[in-house]
Amino acid sequence: MRALLVDDERLARSELRRLLSEFPEIEIVGEASQTKQAREQMAALKPELLFLDVQMPGETGIDFLAALEPPVPHVIFTTAYDEFAVKGFELNALDYLLKPVDPARLAAAVNRLPGLSQSTLAKPGPAGRLESADKVFVREGEKCWFVEVSQIRLLESEGNYTRVHFADAQPQLFRSLNAMEERLDPKFFFRANRRQIINIAWIASIEPWFSSGLLVHLKGGTKVELSRRQAQDFRDRMSL
Amino acid sequence: MEVSADISLPAPDAAEREQAKQRLYVLFQAAGWSAWLLMEAIFTFAFPEPPDERRDVTTNLSIVIMFMTVGLLLTHLLRPFMRRWKWKQLGWRQLVPRMVATSVVMALIWVGFITGWVHGVLGEKWSMHVAPVVIVVMDTCFISIVFFGWLCLYFFYHVFDRLNRSEIERFQLMTSVKEAELRALKSQVNPHFIFNSLNSLRALIDENPGRARRAVTQLANLLRYSLQSGQLETVPFEDELEVVNDYLALEQVRHEERLRLRLDIGTDTLSLPIPPMLLQTLVENAVKYGISPRADGGEISIVARNEGGALRIQVSNPGEIKASEKAGSTGVGLHNAAERLRLIFGEKATLRLRSDKPALVVAEAVIPLPVHP
Repeated sequence: MRALLVDDERLARSELRRLLSEFPEIEIVGEASQTKQAREQMAALKPELLFLDVQMPGETGIDFLAALEPPVPHVIFTTAYDEFAVKGFELNALDYLLKPVDPARLAAAVNRLPGLSQSTLAKPGPAGRLESADKVFVREGEKCWFVEVSQIRLLESEGNYTRVHFADAQPQLFRSLNAMEERLDPKFFFRANRRQIINIAWIASIEPWFSSGLLVHLKGGTKVELSRRQAQDFRDRMSL
Repeated sequence: MEVSADISLPAPDAAEREQAKQRLYVLFQAAGWSAWLLMEAIFTFAFPEPPDERRDVTTNLSIVIMFMTVGLLLTHLLRPFMRRWKWKQLGWRQLVPRMVATSVVMALIWVGFITGWVHGVLGEKWSMHVAPVVIVVMDTCFISIVFFGWLCLYFFYHVFDRLNRSEIERFQLMTSVKEAELRALKSQVNPHFIFNSLNSLRALIDENPGRARRAVTQLANLLRYSLQSGQLETVPFEDELEVVNDYLALEQVRHEERLRLRLDIGTDTLSLPIPPMLLQTLVENAVKYGISPRADGGEISIVARNEGGALRIQVSNPGEIKASEKAGSTGVGLHNAAERLRLIFGEKATLRLRSDKPALVVAEAVIPLPVHP
């Protein structure tokens, strides 16, 4: 697995490199000391795994990740002492390592990486499409989520932002609904109306609605209205 | 010099206090009425009445003792009533009319008793020169004044007692608040720094064992100082400087060539007192805002001067003062340091952040000569 190390301290990177030498399955393809450099390396090297320091000059690792164009690679955070970030991660079972890194904890984190056994790693699909196994990083306040695209039930436009509904959370994503629509696979995601995109896999039932429209019930209880034109599109799509 | 102030008085035990008050009351009553007795005696002997109206000594004594006993009993019995009516809580506008009325009522009772005793029991004749009514009225007026005086003394004592007590309480409160503030403001070494240093140290063990050994000692010094200085109000500037040097050496391990230093310390500053961790806070801030956010780092300079006993310290780092920047993150460390300085050295001590030249921030602390060196 191709990994990129992001930490502002040379010694911290060299220590992590030394620790990772025990894991032949991890190949370190690059190092970055700042988020700007990391962004360039992300584009150039397309790493599948990111070791990301939380506290960095200028921009935190979390800010960096939130601004990253999805899909995000696998991420293992490293932090020296960051109560809030660590609390946020724990809530969402994201992986993080406390510095100085305990080799046993590192081994556990590496073993937990799903991609390692399946080797179905987040590679950009055709035309930069998000595959259903790809992950999106969402942050709201102190909470952070890595959401698998297939777990998203509904995306709702809120001005320039998009509210993403999954599990029992609905944080905001700092991207417009139109921008998201371009990245989503039309096989799974359907533009129900001006404000909403639904995940077809999450539809529980459909009933006829006023003036030849449709009312779609999603698993989890959300109802979404389709106007006559969109209902026609939807019927065409489903009858394929 | 311990911070935990010895000036804070232990709260006096309430029961003990009540007992002391009771003793004082008994003493006052006894002394007051005895003085009255003495005065009566002196007057009787100094200005003897005309021979035809002179009483014999036993009668006279019995009358005076009766005087005293009735007065003592009346005032003593009045006390529980005043407590029940909560007169101590009244303002003087409400209290004074009550005092006057009580004095008159008590005087009437007293005059009644005395008249009964003298003219009833002892069977003494009324004076030939003055009408009995006049005597009764005059006696009542005179005795009212005596009782009013007694009540005044009683309430004066309580007013002073309460003032005294609230003064003590306020003083205790002030010292405890000051202590708590100081404790809260005592800055500690940033845990983030500690763990990052330990992490760098681990890498250094392989890379440069000598440097790693030195770094362990420096980190130990810094931690020990941070833990111990919590109990001190001030330390010699020299001690603080030594630890700041250790801290900077550790930051240089982390930031390497990104952190450059320039120290200019007057030798006559070394013995001057400084709140522990003050310079440390300024330098930590300089690293946090002047070095960490800059890819190519910068120079931190520390200048210390003795200006007629006052210590002037300037710590400068590259950067700009961002007043509008999230006030929460920028100022907390410095604000706490300034508060701490003010609590220990008073208003003359100052801590300011300014920018003389573009892209240069200077934190300046002026610590006056302490009043008690």
